[in-house]
Amino acid sequence: MEEARIKTFPVKPKLKTKPRTQQQTPESKYWSSFKTQQIPKQFPIHSIDYSPTPPHSFVLANSTTLHIFNSKTLSETSQITFKDTVSCVSFRNDARLIAASDLSGLVQVFDFNERRRIRHLQSHTRPVRFVHYPRHDKLHLVSGGDDALVKYWDVAEAKVIHQFNGHKDYVRCGHSSPVNSDTFVTGSYDHLVKLWDVRVRDSSKSAMDINHGCPVEDVVFLPSGGMIATAGGNSVKLWDVIGGGKLLYSMESHNKTVTSICVGRIGKDSVDESNQYRIMSVGLDGYFKVFDYGSMKVTHSMRFPAPLVSLGYSPDCLTRVIGTSNGMIYASKRKVKVDENEKGIVASEGSSIWRIRPLESTEKKVLKTTDFRYFQRGQGEKPSEGDYLVMRPKKVKLTAHDKLLNKFRHGDALVCVLEGKNPGHVVAVMEELVSRKKLLRCVSDLDLEKLELLLAFLHKYCTVPKYSSLLMGLANKVIEMRADDIRASETLKKHIRNLKSTVEAEIRIQQSLQEIQGIISPLLRIAGRR
Amino acid sequence: MRGGQSYVSCPPSFSNDGNRLLVGCGTSVAIFSTATALQVSSLEGHTSTVTSVVVVPGSKILNYCWTSSLDGTIRYWDFSLFECIKKIDLNLPIFSMVIPSLLSTPEESSGKKKNVYAYVCMQTENGKDNKPKLCTAQIRKCNLTNYNKLSKVTLKETKRPQRLTISPCGNFLGIKDKRKLHIWKIPKVDSDSAVSKKITLHHTKTFSVLTFHPTERIVAAGDVTGRILIFRGFGAQNFQENGELLNRTSMTGEECKPGVRQNDDAESCSTWHWHSSGVNLLSFSSDGVYLYSGGKEGVLVFWQLDTGKKKFLPRIGSPLRYFIDSPDPSVSSISCADNQIHIFKISSMEIMRSISGIKPPLSSQDICESISSQAAFDCTSGLVAVQTENYGIQFYSLFANRGLYEIQVCERNYQPVDDVTVVVTMVELSVDGSMMGTVEVKLPEEGIGGLICLKLWDLDSDTKRFSMSTLIYEPHRDAHISAIAFHPTRHMAVTSSYGGDFKIWVCREETQQKGQTHQNFSWMCHAVGSYKNKAMRAAAFSADGSVLAVAADTVITLWDPDKNELIAVVGETPSPIGRLIFVGKSENLLSVSHGSTPQLSVWSMSKLAASWSYRLEIEAVSCALDLSYFAVIALLPKSNERMFKGDGIILVFNATDPTPMASWSVTKAKGGSIAFLKGNPSELADEKSSKTLLAYLNGDREYVLFDPYDKEARELNMTMQGDLVGLEDNGQFGYTSIYGELPVFDLKRNKASSVFSGASNRPWETIFNGSSSHMLPPLTKLCSEFLESLLEKKTSIIE
Repeated sequence: MEEARIKTFPVKPKLKTKPRTQQQTPESKYWSSFKTQQIPKQFPIHSIDYSPTPPHSFVLANSTTLHIFNSKTLSETSQITFKDTVSCVSFRNDARLIAASDLSGLVQVFDFNERRRIRHLQSHTRPVRFVHYPRHDKLHLVSGGDDALVKYWDVAEAKVIHQFNGHKDYVRCGHSSPVNSDTFVTGSYDHLVKLWDVRVRDSSKSAMDINHGCPVEDVVFLPSGGMIATAGGNSVKLWDVIGGGKLLYSMESHNKTVTSICVGRIGKDSVDESNQYRIMSVGLDGYFKVFDYGSMKVTHSMRFPAPLVSLGYSPDCLTRVIGTSNGMIYASKRKVKVDENEKGIVASEGSSIWRIRPLESTEKKVLKTTDFRYFQRGQGEKPSEGDYLVMRPKKVKLTAHDKLLNKFRHGDALVCVLEGKNPGHVVAVMEELVSRKKLLRCVSDLDLEKLELLLAFLHKYCTVPKYSSLLMGLANKVIEMRADDIRASETLKKHIRNLKSTVEAEIRIQQSLQEIQGIISPLLRIAGRR
Repeated sequence: MRGGQSYVSCPPSFSNDGNRLLVGCGTSVAIFSTATALQVSSLEGHTSTVTSVVVVPGSKILNYCWTSSLDGTIRYWDFSLFECIKKIDLNLPIFSMVIPSLLSTPEESSGKKKNVYAYVCMQTENGKDNKPKLCTAQIRKCNLTNYNKLSKVTLKETKRPQRLTISPCGNFLGIKDKRKLHIWKIPKVDSDSAVSKKITLHHTKTFSVLTFHPTERIVAAGDVTGRILIFRGFGAQNFQENGELLNRTSMTGEECKPGVRQNDDAESCSTWHWHSSGVNLLSFSSDGVYLYSGGKEGVLVFWQLDTGKKKFLPRIGSPLRYFIDSPDPSVSSISCADNQIHIFKISSMEIMRSISGIKPPLSSQDICESISSQAAFDCTSGLVAVQTENYGIQFYSLFANRGLYEIQVCERNYQPVDDVTVVVTMVELSVDGSMMGTVEVKLPEEGIGGLICLKLWDLDSDTKRFSMSTLIYEPHRDAHISAIAFHPTRHMAVTSSYGGDFKIWVCREETQQKGQTHQNFSWMCHAVGSYKNKAMRAAAFSADGSVLAVAADTVITLWDPDKNELIAVVGETPSPIGRLIFVGKSENLLSVSHGSTPQLSVWSMSKLAASWSYRLEIEAVSCALDLSYFAVIALLPKSNERMFKGDGIILVFNATDPTPMASWSVTKAKGGSIAFLKGNPSELADEKSSKTLLAYLNGDREYVLFDPYDKEARELNMTMQGDLVGLEDNGQFGYTSIYGELPVFDLKRNKASSVFSGASNRPWETIFNGSSSHMLPPLTKLCSEFLESLLEKKTSIIE
């Protein structure tokens, strides 16, 4: 009875309606759990590559510079400068060397740790667009460029071992097979993706040709090695390489050219999901999409406010980097629970030969009244099983404005909530003040600075449909009541001008909506008659 | 069966052992157990409102009390046997009675029994004298032991009857009269002719309450502005008697008397001011150290008498009326204006339990245009849901005559002194009682910030309580909701608004993930309809739910609720229709319109035309679920009131026949509601199948249940169910508590009339204000009945 009588009702914003669409799937929850951070740069980010070994640093190609980032902190650690614009960058599988191509046709190899130039590979006569270290090969490199040639290099001697000249247009992309160090694919603007085998010494004959139908922007081997994904035009296509280049699926959910794709694993602790791979794609329409090629479905979609041109996803599934054409980098990081990390450590330890066995917890003696220690139990004593627990009543946590409202400091509560960020709370406090019949009194008592806050709030939110029924009326009253103050102050006048322009914009929107309604309603009437 | 009376019309009284609380409730005295807060029994006999209950003090086994009533009688009861021992008829309405001699310690020296005198405040009749009398109330003395006639001595005449206050040791008697306090000293040896000495204390404000200190000569009085005045040493000069030693310094004429108005006989007067509005409750603790005060704020203030320091028991939630100490010094009771009596522990300042009567109707009826004071009835379980002042819904069991529980509709704390800005305007239950809809309106401040919320509730099958499933803000934009109606079988509801549209809501079931079978219901809008932009004022589903009738101003529109198609438009009434109801399973639709030309019409759905109509101002209608009967409360014009002994009349019709089957005239019909209920489940064992009762709840939320079909209109008496009392086992009352379970029917019968004008045959007075008596049957008869009831119980078990 007592608890039922003394209740506090904190001021809450109005409930939001639940969307009728189905709730977020676990997967899209996973993908949206990446917290995005913006790193501004000057020029388009053409290429991103992750180091294959922990701690998985990543490299961005931006104009004439290679930026090396720490993926833990998402901060830049060092950079390498070039004479010309860098077009592509690739790590060797042990992450000790890094290869980069530039638009002068030069391919260079660096020591990653010391950032020392080791080799100049000069053979291309036109800009090189693509350079790649094969997955299981430390000695060779593949490159391709605007001269429509694909070259296979011996890095140590800095000379071309083999040159493939089957493409008829710019070679833009390529990837090596994850199962075989001798085969790789390249994609070109002649709509073709060609599968090459270095053991075949016929320079113009590819092992397989796949026609994507559009200029190919990116090509990727799937981890099984039996399938490739190609990106070009608005579509991402999946091909079965073993089955003779059969088209498996064409994903057409982008609206503009798909610029980059990559394959990544869902990094979750549960085993059944952690082995699932996804194809990620970015396009000039600003969308980042995740495609499940097991079920052939787009499982997540996300929009960025700029055309996206490059994409990287760390092998440990913790970071994701997206480069845009305007130089903004969207680097995202997933928060990991500590135990997940520990599990990783335990797992890595498990692979080692021996481990120290954890100490078995000795059974704790139950204290009895005969024991002296029974009387020395402190506050930290845990209850034993049979004990009757008297719970301390939960303390109601009140926000600052609730506390002020409880003390009847209405004006302070309004100011306090206006200084906060949440418009829902502001409106909730205003409604509470209305039911106490104190809102207009508060408004009339606000001093000029606080009035400015209120006007800024009204300017921002008074046309939001959810709040407008209250705020429009309030805006009218505020202007009416504080006309003299507004006239006297220049800043307040500015706010009023802003307010006026938002209201005008809203009226225009309403008018155009009415026009649309006028057009639609006869159609609906006709449809209703059927 | 009657119930719903106010428990707070007069101060309650504790029995000597502190286990019982005697509460004057309507025409009877209800006896509650303080341990369980449930009613044990009642003392029936008075024919009008009981105004005071005085328990004879003494040892714990003595269970006698005096009661006075507006019917002009004083009765003496043995409340352990629920028996009236003595009845004294004074013939004048008694407003208050105190018996000083009971409180003073009995003197054993005198061998013969002393006469007991009562002081009564009674209303004198105006008509007797030719000259108009200003003073209509008198305070008289009355010999209770050998009564033959009233004592000639009139202590005081006042314009209005005042409540008498007596000091705890029985020495002083006081009343308040506007800005004066009158205090009499009661003579030690009282007789008919003994004249008491009197003093008067003055103040500049109107007094509202006074109380005496238990041991010292201190009187405390509260006024309407919230001040508390404490007069110390009153009557030092006038009440001085020979041989009485007063422990105070002798006073000379020149000595200053701080705070006391000139010529008032008191040593000093101090003023305390905390209450913001009038003080209604004032009481000293039994040891005289503390003074308790309370007022409209619903806060009980504990004043330390010597220092004036305060402690508070806040948020009682309603204006306080009376504070009564029990013989057990740690337990007290507070009566609140919302018909609740809280029994609380002073030491820990917490409320132990509450006796909850039906809450009074909302005081602010005209604050909002769409407010509907109609209560919602759950016909199957005999519950009524009423709106309460503190933004909630109270569920009251009509059969058990007690409040079951309350739910808070608006998440706000209620402050009695604040202006009303939020109001629960409507409550509606579905036919099976599993769904509830409420509407709350937040009033705007100077035109901004108003809000209307529709809340839909589901009954939790385990706890039998409602929990909110869906909250809809502004269901019809800013237009007020005029009606809610639930589909009889499915999860479907319709709300109509004055803004010219109605919405059909359906409940969507959502099973949550993670393998749990927990079901989550949420309502969403299924369809919106409107007819020529006319204000929709009422809505109803037909008995099978296939037709939805919505009243669009003066016409009735019929819709298919699934497809949202207009099927037909029926008729035209002279004024807007305010209520629609389908008559049972028959094909008749009932419409009620208010306004200048009120009308009750019955429409035949097969012909889509009016069958018959009456020009009556109808307050409430209800129809039997499976039969073609319906009942209405019609308000009578002022001129007819005298003829019918009431301002309203209940009529039962068969839908096919315009002549009423039965009629009863009732009082306080304004704001009343009516419903057909399925019979009391506990009584079904000995009755034939399902019996239908008619429940009538009047404007003050008192109610009566009776059988409308029985031509003899047997009035059922209140019988308490055994399980309610069974919690407390008390050997002394064992037999009587069993007796309390027995259904005892009142023998008084009223003739039913089948003619419309013959309604006065069964005047309401006899239903509400009680029959002459319901005396105990002789013990022999009792015994056989007792055995019979045992037999019946066994057979019912076998079945």
